[in-house]
Order: sequence, then C-alpha cells, then structure tokens
Amino acid sequence: MTNHWIDIRNSDVILIMGSNAAENHPISFKYVLEAKDKGAKLLSVDPRFTRTSAKADIYAPLRSGTDIAFLGGMIKHIIDNKLYHSEYMQLHTNAPFLVNPDFQMPGDLDGLFSGYSEEKRSYDKSTWSFQRDANGVPKSDPSMQDPNCVLQLLGKHFSRYTPEVVSDITGTPQEQLLQVYEAYASTGKAGKAATIMYAMGWTQHTVGTQNIRTMAIIQLLLGNIGIAGGGVNALRGESNVQGSTDHCLLFHILPGYLPTPKSSWNDLATYIEKSTPKTNDPDSANWWANRSKYITSLLRAHFDSVLSAAEDFGYDLLPKLDDGQNASWLMLFDRMFKGDIKGFFSWGQNPACSGSNAGKVRKAMAKLDWMVTVNLFDNETASFWKGPGMDPAAIDTEVFFLPIAASFEKEGSVTNSGRWAQWRYQAVPPLGNSRHDSEVMNELYFRVAELYRKEGGAFPDAITKLSWDYGFKGPDGKIHHMDIHAVAKEINGYFLEDKEIKGKLYKKGELVPSFAFLQNDGSTSSGNWLYCNSYTEKGNMLARRGQSDPSGVGLYPEWSWCWPVNRRILYNRASVDANGQPWDKKQPVIWWTGSGWKGDVPDGGWKPLSQPGTKKSFIMLPDGVASIFGAGMKEGPFPEHYEPLECPIEKNPLSGTKNNPVIKRFYEEGGLEEDVFYSCDQRYPYVATTYRVTEHWQTGVMTRNIPWLLEMQPSMFVELNPELAKEKGIKSGDWVKVSSGRGEVEAVAIVTERFRPFKVQGTTIHQVGLPWCYGWNTPNAGDSANLLTPTIGDANTMIPETKAFQVNIEKRG
Amino acid sequence: MSNYVKRFSAFDRVVHWVLAVAFFVLVFSGLGLFAHTFFGYFDFFGGPEQGILAHKIAGIAFLITSVLLFLAHAKETCRFDGDDAKWFGAFGGYLKRGGKEIPQGKFNAGQKLFALFSFVATIALGLTGWVIWDPTAMERGLTQMSLMLHGLFFILFMMGAVVHIYLATIGNPGTADGMLWGYVKKVWAKKHASKWYKEVIGE
Amino acid sequence: MARKAFMIDTSRCTACRGCQVACKQWNKLPADAEVNRGSYENPPQLTPHLYNKIEFIEKGEGKDFTWRFLNQRCLQCGDAGCIKVCPSAGALFHTEEGLVGYDQDKCISCNYCVNGCPFDVPRYDANNKVTKCHGCMDRVANGLQPACVKACPTASLQFGDRDKLIAAAKASGKQVYGETALSGLGAMYALDGSPQDYNLAENPSIPQSIFLWKDVIKPLGILGFWGAVGAAMLHYVTVGPKQLEDDFEDKGGE
Repeated sequence: MTNHWIDIRNSDVILIMGSNAAENHPISFKYVLEAKDKGAKLLSVDPRFTRTSAKADIYAPLRSGTDIAFLGGMIKHIIDNKLYHSEYMQLHTNAPFLVNPDFQMPGDLDGLFSGYSEEKRSYDKSTWSFQRDANGVPKSDPSMQDPNCVLQLLGKHFSRYTPEVVSDITGTPQEQLLQVYEAYASTGKAGKAATIMYAMGWTQHTVGTQNIRTMAIIQLLLGNIGIAGGGVNALRGESNVQGSTDHCLLFHILPGYLPTPKSSWNDLATYIEKSTPKTNDPDSANWWANRSKYITSLLRAHFDSVLSAAEDFGYDLLPKLDDGQNASWLMLFDRMFKGDIKGFFSWGQNPACSGSNAGKVRKAMAKLDWMVTVNLFDNETASFWKGPGMDPAAIDTEVFFLPIAASFEKEGSVTNSGRWAQWRYQAVPPLGNSRHDSEVMNELYFRVAELYRKEGGAFPDAITKLSWDYGFKGPDGKIHHMDIHAVAKEINGYFLEDKEIKGKLYKKGELVPSFAFLQNDGSTSSGNWLYCNSYTEKGNMLARRGQSDPSGVGLYPEWSWCWPVNRRILYNRASVDANGQPWDKKQPVIWWTGSGWKGDVPDGGWKPLSQPGTKKSFIMLPDGVASIFGAGMKEGPFPEHYEPLECPIEKNPLSGTKNNPVIKRFYEEGGLEEDVFYSCDQRYPYVATTYRVTEHWQTGVMTRNIPWLLEMQPSMFVELNPELAKEKGIKSGDWVKVSSGRGEVEAVAIVTERFRPFKVQGTTIHQVGLPWCYGWNTPNAGDSANLLTPTIGDANTMIPETKAFQVNIEKRG
Repeated sequence: MSNYVKRFSAFDRVVHWVLAVAFFVLVFSGLGLFAHTFFGYFDFFGGPEQGILAHKIAGIAFLITSVLLFLAHAKETCRFDGDDAKWFGAFGGYLKRGGKEIPQGKFNAGQKLFALFSFVATIALGLTGWVIWDPTAMERGLTQMSLMLHGLFFILFMMGAVVHIYLATIGNPGTADGMLWGYVKKVWAKKHASKWYKEVIGE
Repeated sequence: MARKAFMIDTSRCTACRGCQVACKQWNKLPADAEVNRGSYENPPQLTPHLYNKIEFIEKGEGKDFTWRFLNQRCLQCGDAGCIKVCPSAGALFHTEEGLVGYDQDKCISCNYCVNGCPFDVPRYDANNKVTKCHGCMDRVANGLQPACVKACPTASLQFGDRDKLIAAAKASGKQVYGETALSGLGAMYALDGSPQDYNLAENPSIPQSIFLWKDVIKPLGILGFWGAVGAAMLHYVTVGPKQLEDDFEDKGGE
C-alpha cells in the first residue's frame, strides 16, 4: 500500500477491483464503511457479484483478464473529458516529458510497441525514451500539448479504447462501464480523493504488472497519489507478506529491495556501479544513489564483521543469479519437475495446493531426494506421496516434517499491507514439540555450520562466516535460546565503530538512528535499510502503542512504526502544490509552514517545489517524477490489452497480438504435456477463475483444521450462472466435475445469479469460479482448484495466471 | 325379590375406574404444564420430566378406556327422543326441588350429552396430544394450534368432570352405587330412568 | 437499569461470519459436521450449537440483483413468547438488562418455547435442554460486550443502551425493525431495505394460538373450573340433591 488501512476512510470514491476485500480483507471494510458513512461511493468491478459487490453503490461485471481494457477505457474517458488534475501532472509526473519521436505504439504496430523482436520474444527499449537536453535532462512541454509529450501519446494510445470496444472485450454493459468511469474520474480535482484496493485478482495474470500500471496511471492523471484517501493499495493476502517481501521473499531482491547480485557482477564495486540508478537532473534526489550504503550495511549485518573492505565485506559469499536467470516459483518447480533440484524446504507453505498447476507441482516433488516441510499441520505437501494418483512405493523422496509454532505462540513483528511493522507478543507457549521458526533456523544453522567445519564441502564460508549473534552463547558455542529482539536490532543496524556524522559522535555498538546515517565504508550494519529507524536507542519503535493523531487524517504516528522512517503515506510531497500547500485543505497529509513541514514525515525534507534548491517529489525515481510513461515494464511503457493465455475468443479485438508478447511460454518451449493449454477450444469453453473465501485462509491448512470454519464452508464448490446450469442440467447442490487441460476437480455446484453470462464479440461467454482453499488431506473437502490452473506467468514477475483460464464443467457421473 | 337392579357390568366398572384414575393422573401431571401456580404438582411424580412421562402414559390409558367406555354404551348414548327434549327443556329438573322426573332411558339426556362430549374431547385431546408428543416434530403452526386446543379441551373436560362427579355422587344419592358395585336401587331406577326400569323389569 | 439491546445494522454486514465463530468460541459450542448444499449459508438453520448465523438472501436479477445478509438470532423480545409458554418459572427469563436468558437446570425439556417463539429460535441440545442466543448474558452481567459484537469488524453488530441505539439509528436515517413490536425487541435491525427484503415479518407477534392459549384459555379455564365447583356447591345448598326417599316431598309439590 502507498497509503494504509485506516486511510481508506478518507476516500471519496473507493474502487475495489482485482480484489474481494469484504471477503478476503474483512477488517478493511471497517474503513470502507466509515468512508461510505461520510458519503463516499463504493465501486465494485468483478467477474462475480461478491460480498464486496453486495455493499457497493455500483457493481460492474467484467470477464476475467480484461482489466486493462476496462481501465484503458477509463483513461480515455478522463483524457477526452479533461477530468485530469493538470497542475498535479505538471508538477509531479512525467506527463509533460517529450518522448523519442521514433517511439511507436500498438495502434500503429498491430498490438506491439516499437522495438519488438519476434525471435527473442522481448523488446529493444531504445525508443522507449525521452528527448533530453544537452545536460541529459528530459525535455518537457509544461502545457502538455506537444504531440510527442507523454500525456498526448497516452491519449492517442487509449483513443482505441472506446466504450463500445471495451464493452465488447470485457462484457461489461456500457451503462455500468460509464457509471464507474464517471464516479471514479470525479476525483480528478483538488480536494477529492479516490483509492484503489486490489489484490491477486490483478496480479495473477499474464498482464498482472500492467494491470497495476494502468491503475497507477489513472491515479496520477487524477492526482490521487500521495494524498489522504488516495494511492494504489495492494491488499496483501497474509498478515506478514509485506514483511517477508521487504525482507527478500522473492528471488530477485535482497532485503530492502536491493537487486540480487548477478554472477557477472564480480565484486562489490561492480554491483554498486551496475545497480545504482543515475540521473543528470540536479533537481532529482534519486535516492537510490545511496545504494552503496545500503548494500554495504547489509553485508556488514549478514556476515562476520571481521571481513574487511578488502574482502568486500563478504560480497562474494552472497548467493548470485546467473545472468538472465529467472528463479521464480514456476521456474523452480519446472526445474524440480525436470530433476534439477534435489532438496526442498517447504517452510510455512503448501505448494501441493497453492502452486499453479498443482498436479505438476506434486509430480515435481516426487523427483526430489528430500523435502523438509515446516508447518503447523500435516498437509497435502508433507503427505504428497500418498495423495491421489500417487504410488508411494514408486516415490523415493524422503520427507521430514518439522512442527512449528503459530503466530500466537511467538514474539516478533508482523508488517501489514500499510507497511506498519507491529510488534506482537507470545500469547501462549507452543504446543507439544513445535518450536518457533527462529529456533528451528538457529538449530539448523549451528548444525550445518558444524558439518561444514568438520567435513568441509563446497563453499562453506557462505554459512560459516555468517554473523549469528542472536542470543547468549553457551559453553558449546551455540545459542540455545534465540533473542528475537537481537534479530530486530540487527535489521535496524548498529554502528560497528565510533563514527562522527554531522558533528555528532556515534559510539560503536549504538543502534543507527535512521538510514540517512548508514555508511558505505563498513562502519554501519543494517539488515534492511528500509527498517533502519525501527529499533533505535529510543527503544523498539515497533512496540509503540501511542494513539494520538495530531494530523486528524488517521496517521497515528506513534502507533507501531512504518517504513520508511515512519512515513505513513508514501509520495506525500505530491499531496501539495508548488508552494507546499495541500491540494486537500480539509485532509492535509503534509503542509509547508514557511520554515518547515508539518504533518506526516515528508518524502524528503526539501522546501516546496517553487523554491530554489529543492528536489522533486518522487525521490525513488531517477527523473524525480512519477512515471505515467514507464519504460521499466517488459511489455511497453503504456499498458495494452492482451488476452489471457487461455481465453474464450479467437482474436484480440484490439489487435493481431493476442497474448502478452513477452511472456515465457512454457508449453512451446518445453513441450511438457503438464504445461498444455487450450485457448478458444471447444473442449474447455468456459472462463474460470479462482479465489479465496472469508472462512478459509490460503490453501486452508490452518482453517481446514478448525472445525468451526469448516462447518461454514465445508467443501469444494464451483459457482456458475443459472443459464449455464440449465444447459448442463446442473442444480445447486449437485456434485460436478470441473476439468481443464491440466486436471480436474470435483465440486458442489452453487448455481447463482451472482455470476452472469458475458456478451463478448457477439457471443455469450460463461464464467465459473472456484476457491483454492481445499485439499484432499481434509476428508470430504475436495481438492485444490490449482489442479486446473496453467503454467504461465506474468512477463515481469512470473506470478502465475490463475485468475483467467479455461475449463469444462459437467455433472458428476 | 331384590330391591336392586343391575346397571353396570364388571367390565364397565373396571374400565370406568381405570379411566378415572388416568384422568386424575393426567390432571395432576398436566397442571404443571398449564400454569406456574401448579408447577409444584410435578413433585408428586418425582419431577417435571417424570411428570410429563406420566402424563403421556396416562394419556394413552385415558384414550383407550374412554373410547372403550363410549363404544360400550354408544347404542344407548347416541339416541335421543322427545323425552330427552323435554328433559333438556326442564334442565333435567335440577332447577327446583322435588319436580316430577321426566321419563328417561338407561341414561338421561344430560348423561348422554356428557358421554358424547367426553368422546369428542377424548379424540381432540388424543389427536392434539399426539401432535405435541414431541413439540418439535411437526409443523410449527399445527403444534401451536394443538397446544391451544389441548388446553381448551382440558378446561372443558375439567368443568364437565366437576359436574359429572357432583351429579353422580352427592347431587343424586344412590347413583354412584351402579358404578361402584354394579347395582342400583329399584327406587333409584324408577325415579331416574323409568323407561329403562320398565325395560329391565319387563313390565 | 436501562434496557440493553443489540442493534444490527444490515447495511454494515459483510457476512464475514466472525459473529458465528466468536459465539461458538465464547459459548464453547462444537461444530456441526456440514456439507455444502449449494449455498454459502451453512449450517442452513440455527442449531443447538449455533446461536447466531448469517442468512444469505439473493433476490432479483441483472441490475436489480441484491445479496443481503441478515444476522439471525434470538431477538430478545420484551414480550417473549418463549417465556410466556415456559411452564418452569425461571427456566427462561428476562435478565436485568432485558435479555432473554435461560437456566438449563430449570428447563423441563417440554419444548414449548420452540413453539412459543415468533421467530423459531430456541433449539434443544443433546441433553434435551433449551439453548439459544442469550446475548452473552454472562459477559454482559460483567460489563463486557457480547462475543459476537466484539468480533464484528464493521460495527454491524452493536450492543448498548437500547434507547441510545434507537436514537442513533434514527439519527442516521435508518429504519429500525423491532422498536415497538413484542414490547420492543432486545435485538433490533437497522434495515437498509424493507422487512420483506430480509424475509422478516412486517409485524412480528406471538403466534395467535399461543396468545389464545396463554392469555385467554388459561385464565378463563381456571375461572371456569372454580366456577363449576362453586355452581355445584351452590346447587347443593339451594336446590339440593334429588333424594330417593319417597317420603320426601316438597310442600306445594305433587
């Protein structure tokens, strides 16, 4: 979230799209309804009428996988009717920038941008650039009238997304389409705010990243970024998934969103040189220029502090990616399936149900030599070898199960979607033999390190030279009880030697006050620069419980702590005009008093933009402004609608380019029958999507073990509309079989008006939906909907496309 | 020659007294369900649950004996004639002392009416009792109606029983003899059931 | 003590069913083994182990389609049919706060309350004793909110001073269901629709036959019984019995 949960109440218009917040983030509705109490309009756009839609002022159905078309139409509506916030765009975005005249767009290139290579399935992005002056600063036209400026190109690009065309793609009746557009675009004025609440309904597509880009563009056009009640808000699906992402859950980043080193980046200097963004604009803060400080401090936290600058502080010991390597989820299991991976720690997850194309995942695990599952309960992953279709005698995988403590059984921090890191305390001791994750890791560390010391082996230093000071070491040299505060302090970082900064002396061993004090000379450590400031000499900021709200807009700055540096609303310098005065006088986030900023922690403390010597407002981007034109994406600087890999129509109505042209196509490349897909195929004529339900969590490992929750949602179901049900002779409560190219599941039919057939391209298209919270390990509950989902990922992130695929449905024989 | 004539067979008498006992068990086990005032009567049965059980058992006994008794005398009790009309017209002669008795068969018109009422009430109480045997088993509206009717017929029966007992005992001395040991005095028969008396004496 | 009550604001209910679970947790109620019957609504009815549940109501088609959620539970009537029909004084009762509580030790398993209730709420457990939502009378008596109210994330369920809740609901322009019916419900709905939209009776009342039984037949019956006894006695002492002795002849008679 750029903003935070409480801030939703400040919105005038709330769009919930790509998410079903009422069901999957029930607490969010406390704030959604508070906003409605104050007159806010709630818009729900979803293929299915959900519990969110039930509370909405306007509900608009759309066919799964057509969000860019829907939102593209909104961009056209905003530009055609000049509903955008001009002054905001001029100050805070690249809308006035002039683009390379050689740049060409899908309207001219049949669905492609300039620079596409059919052979490489990727773009040469050289034309996706700005015209620059002699100093290398982008040229711009403040009037935003130049035909080559970003705003004009944006308008030209989306001029193809007329309501007729959009409705014909999405299946949304034009009336509802326009209702949503009008309501949302009404916030393009100072003093009005609209927010978007999205989740996996947007990300889990082959165009997932571009779905969010499209919305970010809309928010920038309307001036909704940085303000109270605005922002682009990802609703994270687990209580601490934000925290785990911050601390490098993903393969391509190190803690604090530092890029993972590549094997060709031989030393620390090269890493810094290659990964640090540059700018020629003296007005751009380009905060990532500090990368050297953050990576150096990270290394100092990671590895034994005896490692010297000459030894690159242990840079060589970091794991590295081969150049061009993608080590995302789909790739890991693809390689596991092919026998390249021998061992697997499945820690707090259940890939046998959560992984897209779960059938392939289960087969892949049978190729392992060993697997360690760390979980609260036995689950379909731990017991995959005795699951349906498995022959235990033929599976050689040795499976270990480590019972682990639940969140209530341990102390530590949880970072919520709003980036608040909140300290929690142990409520009850762990049950039975289960242990805290940290204790398990501690034990693993000492045992593995000891083995390396005794027996040697390949590259032992990566383990033996880790710093591991998380508690009192006994006479055997081991830590027997992890001090979780020591971990939190290491994440914040220490001064490793006495250091004078801005005239103040910081002693060795002191906690670093904030990331502005981190050094690239090895004198500071920080396990995650973004969290530097979270545990300081003033104490554990995460444990704060102050309830004052001097801002009046619900920032609660003394409640826990929020990254970065307790800034509650990101990009908040865009919430003010050039003189530092808030666009929204009633709900100001920050404001300039003439001598300083008041309100939230500003996004850089420089003076207002009208004053000399300041820096631009989007400090994390090299150009200092928000990117309406975003060349960082793989598919193009503007979003373009492409059909899902599996879709019900022959042709993309917008162009000759049917699917995202830069996705990795597993089936074509590998030829595995497990990766097969059927697009516009009579055998699988119905669009399907997957979702969660309020009553279960993720694959349901926790919730399926709670009888009260199982009572409410006892078994696998499929929702379908009455017309399709009639055609197929299915009644509510019947058991049916849902099948895709990859597998099949049995489910109870819920025949409901909440799904409606879509009119697309003159034909009637039916969509069905299934939850993915069940698994065969719970008696009579059914199996995972992910047995149906495809092996295909988003071009930028490789998140699997589980939200739009094709199935067939028939009554169980 | 005996001063007595036979009025009720041993069968009649046994059935009647089983019926009577069942009736009092029903009254005392049911009153606790009827109003809080009588809740203490459940103590006679060892508690409310046991009281309810006793009520159900006594209810079956009552239903069977009441139907048997009615059927045993249906021939006499279901036939009304002109004398019965006169009897009703004179309120059975109960409104003044020493009036001339209107000639009646084995049972006078009031007794016949009570027999019919008892039968109807028995069937009504039996049917509604069956519905509310398990008050959650049947449709709610039907159960609610049955609860109400069961209470209504209980009340009517209670009032009828008071009249019946009074008239069969102190109200008409000598009447109870017939139900106690089977015979009534001829003088009683001549007075209260002159037509029946003539029949049995054979005059 | 001022009467306490629930106000259930249907416009704020997202059917998360936290109330269902919180209730089971506090009241230590087991789960019923359930199957999906083609609906989210599960279990389909209140059970001895389910004191409150969300009813999922789908109505209409296309643009007129609505999906409404109603928290079903004991509505804590001021004039409570269950208390009215209960033969065992104190088995069902009004608490100081006006909630309809019960004491299973006093329940005589007669099941009358099941039929006395206008809303078909009371259930009998495995021991054949009455169970239903009692508004967490144990928590309320100790100054806590009922478990369901505490769990509700959207303040759809509120509990407090009855008059204040009504005033607040009216002030925000909501239709209050149950303000006066049955001497005022102790669990009212602030409806964003008509009672029919929520499958609620327009004018809920104690079933007519139950009213007749308890409020008409019972008092008249007691009167009738003593009246009959009195009439017999009066008859005996005024008119007197029909004596058999032939020598008894009233003066002026034959």
